[in-house]
Amino acid sequence: MKKVIIYTTPSCVYCKMAKEFFKTHTVPYEEHDVYADDAAREEMIQKSHQLGVPVIDIEGEIFVGFNQREMAKTLGISS
Amino acid sequence: MFYELIIIGGGPAGVAAGVYAARKKIKTLLIAKEFGGQSMVSADVQNWIGTKSISGFELAQMLEGHVRAQEDIEVLSDELVTTISSDTAKFVVGTEGGKQFESKTLLLTSGSRRRKLGIPGEKEFDGRGVVYCSTCDAPIFKGKEVAVIGGGNAGLEAARDLLPYASKIYLLHRGDTLKGDPLTQEKITADSKVSVILNAQTKEIFGTAFVEGIRYIDSVSGEQRELKLDGIFVEIGSLPNSDFVKNLAALNERGEVIVDHKTQRASLLGVWAAGDVTDVLYKQNNISAGDAVKAVLNIYDYLHSGK
Repeated sequence: MKKVIIYTTPSCVYCKMAKEFFKTHTVPYEEHDVYADDAAREEMIQKSHQLGVPVIDIEGEIFVGFNQREMAKTLGISS
Repeated sequence: MFYELIIIGGGPAGVAAGVYAARKKIKTLLIAKEFGGQSMVSADVQNWIGTKSISGFELAQMLEGHVRAQEDIEVLSDELVTTISSDTAKFVVGTEGGKQFESKTLLLTSGSRRRKLGIPGEKEFDGRGVVYCSTCDAPIFKGKEVAVIGGGNAGLEAARDLLPYASKIYLLHRGDTLKGDPLTQEKITADSKVSVILNAQTKEIFGTAFVEGIRYIDSVSGEQRELKLDGIFVEIGSLPNSDFVKNLAALNERGEVIVDHKTQRASLLGVWAAGDVTDVLYKQNNISAGDAVKAVLNIYDYLHSGK
């Protein structure tokens, strides 16, 4: 299984959708709350060159926003 | 596969229509990019009747669950309708994913999308300080100086979303008085963090890697002013998602599908519309759902009586 990191804020709906998607397909993920954690905020900006959440890092491949089809394809999940 | 009805959209209107169409045994396909409509990103919806308080996300899940629980309907999600054509016998609906479906009738419940400023810098800094979802991204601007563009309800709510986080909030509005809910106005203008700037015509968003500020004209004095900012939250209303029917059905000057409000029929026979994509006066979840039910009952009559 590929390593998945997701950068979130507590109020972000698309972050919740992404996390539900990972849970449904039993994809383990590491979550960083960029509101609570300033270092994570900087890391997210460095990786994605932008300020919106969610940012999803799948082994160095960076996705801004949550697109279910794209995620499924990248993780090799058939939906 | 030939359907009696294709419903386009998965907000409250599309889902209400789907539930009623299934129960009426109308052979139906519902195509939706996502469920829940524009409320999906609301932190708290307190006026969905029968529910005291629910997050937009939970509302979206409830809506999706309700339509998927119906046996007599096909649901195609994560698919955006991009084209519609018609001949005398049928409608052909095409999707972004290259799929095509045919039906005897259509119900448009495609809702609306965010209106953009259309000024230099907006596109370049989209996601780099220009924000269209305040609920999502407000916490990222902790300790930062931001502006909210728009003095209607959406603008006021964005300012309210930012209150716990931003160090300074400028609320820019084109008109000479704020338009939104008086209670919310009171709450946000009472906070010393908030400065309301009226008669502001936004001209340009500037920056380098990220947003650094905005230029606007004070339309009373005619002077150009500048604000140094880290974030700009654009909340200036919405545009109907009606592009795919502009050559089929009559739209008003705002691009909304003109419907007969008794039956929800559009100008072309066989096409109905409900919710925010229409010229309905009030854009509300509950109204969208009710109007969509009206549409389906009328579609049922049309399919059975030919009128």
